[in-house]
Amino acid sequence: MSQNINCRIVRRRQVLQAGAAIGALQFAAPFIIQARGETPIKIGMVDPLTGAYAAVARSEVEGAKLAVQEINGKGGITGRPIELLVEDSANDTGTGVQKTRKLIERDGVSFIIGDVNSGVALAIAQVTNEKKILHVVPGGHSDAITGSDCHWNVFRVCNSTVMDGNAIADVLMEKFGKKWYFLTPDYAYGHSVQAALVKKLEAKGGKWEGALAPIGTPDYSSYLIKAKSYGPDVLINVMGAGDQVNSIKQYVQFGLAKQMPMGGTLFELESVLALPDDARAGWWTYEWYWNQPKVPQAAKFVADIKKQTNQIATARHWFGYVSIHSIALAANQAKSVDSVAVAHALEDMKLPPEVGLIQNTAYFRKGDHQLMSDVFVGQAHGAKGNPDDLFEVTDVVPGEKAAGPVEQSGCKLTYPA
Amino acid sequence: MTQLILYNTFNGLIIGTFYVLMALGLSLILNLSGVINFAHGGFLAVGGYLAYTLSPYIGFWAALIAAPLLTACIGIAIERTLIRRLYGRDPLYSLLLTFGLAFIFEDMTRAIWGAQGLPFTPPSFLTQPISPDFFFITYYRLFMMAVVGIVVLGLFLFLRYTRLGVRIRAGTLDLETVSALGVNVRALRTMNFAVGIFLAGLAGVLAGGNLSLEPTMGANVLMPSFVAIIVGGVGSLHGTLFGGLLIGVASGLTTVWFPSASEAVIYVIMAVVLLVRPRGLMGEEGIMS
Repeated sequence: MSQNINCRIVRRRQVLQAGAAIGALQFAAPFIIQARGETPIKIGMVDPLTGAYAAVARSEVEGAKLAVQEINGKGGITGRPIELLVEDSANDTGTGVQKTRKLIERDGVSFIIGDVNSGVALAIAQVTNEKKILHVVPGGHSDAITGSDCHWNVFRVCNSTVMDGNAIADVLMEKFGKKWYFLTPDYAYGHSVQAALVKKLEAKGGKWEGALAPIGTPDYSSYLIKAKSYGPDVLINVMGAGDQVNSIKQYVQFGLAKQMPMGGTLFELESVLALPDDARAGWWTYEWYWNQPKVPQAAKFVADIKKQTNQIATARHWFGYVSIHSIALAANQAKSVDSVAVAHALEDMKLPPEVGLIQNTAYFRKGDHQLMSDVFVGQAHGAKGNPDDLFEVTDVVPGEKAAGPVEQSGCKLTYPA
Repeated sequence: MTQLILYNTFNGLIIGTFYVLMALGLSLILNLSGVINFAHGGFLAVGGYLAYTLSPYIGFWAALIAAPLLTACIGIAIERTLIRRLYGRDPLYSLLLTFGLAFIFEDMTRAIWGAQGLPFTPPSFLTQPISPDFFFITYYRLFMMAVVGIVVLGLFLFLRYTRLGVRIRAGTLDLETVSALGVNVRALRTMNFAVGIFLAGLAGVLAGGNLSLEPTMGANVLMPSFVAIIVGGVGSLHGTLFGGLLIGVASGLTTVWFPSASEAVIYVIMAVVLLVRPRGLMGEEGIMS
């Protein structure tokens, strides 16, 4: 009798304990949630969150996060939510490659986005190509990414240096003259921009001289002395990020703004904001600008970014945003997350206006996977009322016109069998 | 061409004075405590950011004094809690510690002030050239040279005539005997570190006017400062002064002919000095052997 009672008590306790354990496991073990079929689609983002390009990289990440939020709000990709995994490449090729491998092999991402640094982007592209993972480069500018080193799985959002150079070269020659002096950072991006501009200049019989400055040069006085003694019609400042801020700050402090006008391709809004008002000058190309009265959807994007980050939306926010949305649109169209299928769907796909956020229609060109988006040519200026409106757009050049024919890009795409 | 060379030589001297300021701080800390302070660039950035934060309230001139003092206080705190434990050990330990500190400073400044570069401007009457021909000599750069000149003079007077200064100099030569004579060596090292960091903070405020204020600003100025110490001679402050000016001029002149080598040339000079005269141009035999 007593034995029977004991048995029942033990059995009930066991049942209760088992029930509690199963209940706890629901919250603890992820594999049980996976078995329910709501596995998120993981997208890996590799960007230099620390180091010299941290400011623009973080803008790209914020733009991507906004896009992920929007897409998940509308059901995600093929009904599954997106999970964004962000890793820091620290502006170093080895680190970038290592993080990409980790994202693909350990975390099982379906797509990769990155890097700001063209050298790192190219290295990562080797990995993604090997692993057959779709790879969108939001902000690496070197021509090779959609040129001589293009791959079937690599797409690029920001302009190539050729696009930027072609858009502004004629404007600079008309406004100022054909004698130019280049201040160029001594690495792939700098050489690439200079080559693009020189080609246009020499085609119209212009003359030029230039100086290559190592990245991270703090003091540009000796370069500016050389520039001044050459006496150019315009000083072409190709430096990037912090170096551009330093060189322009010093150029203005030396009073050269009155003696030698300045221009170039990129002078990103992040850099303009880092400069005092009197240093905000010159003629530049923007790859996307927030103040577009003719594009009503842009205002919503600007407001969302302001709310999320307390910053004005820049081209870099837009790069991250477009990268994620493009992947989602292509995957939904292909009804698959297989990279080959998504890549085919992304080619020549026209981005809807609430993603493109430009006057013309943006699309990834089939021949080289370069996004054909508007290039905004204009003049930087100090704050006049709105402290964020620091660029006056005088010309919007459609992407195809700036990029030139796809046959000249040097890209040959071969898809896997 | 001669004009180009003259301009660049003079310009190089201006660049060099900035390196001197950084290098003197590093040298002070290295001589007395044997600590290779890789975090010096981080302190520079902190000094610049503090000046940026303070100047709307107290003005540029007050911030010029206050920010380095605050930075020196942070330096004292770090010295007492972290660096003090590594005295007497292999210099490698303190190098690793300060190397790690450099990363921590970079990330903390990024976390507090953001990755975005900040516009810090000195008063506008300074940021103008003295003439259109000598455009590279702005009043601000002259002001910088004047500040460095005053600091160097002050430092040498301090080391020669004040009790603390004499003790620091004595400590550089023979710390054990100084301790045996009843001087509080711990406090001596802390004060010495504080003076070195004060110089770094001051360099940061001055740099903020010339460079963009961002978390990585110290990194590019740090290496030339180390080179200045090595070229001038470890253990000799006069050597550091001379070394800083020398590499500034070398860098400026190289830009005339090989602009892309303007950074590399200072390392070439360092290599030559190390091969030909390892103690440095004005250094003393045996230090850091």
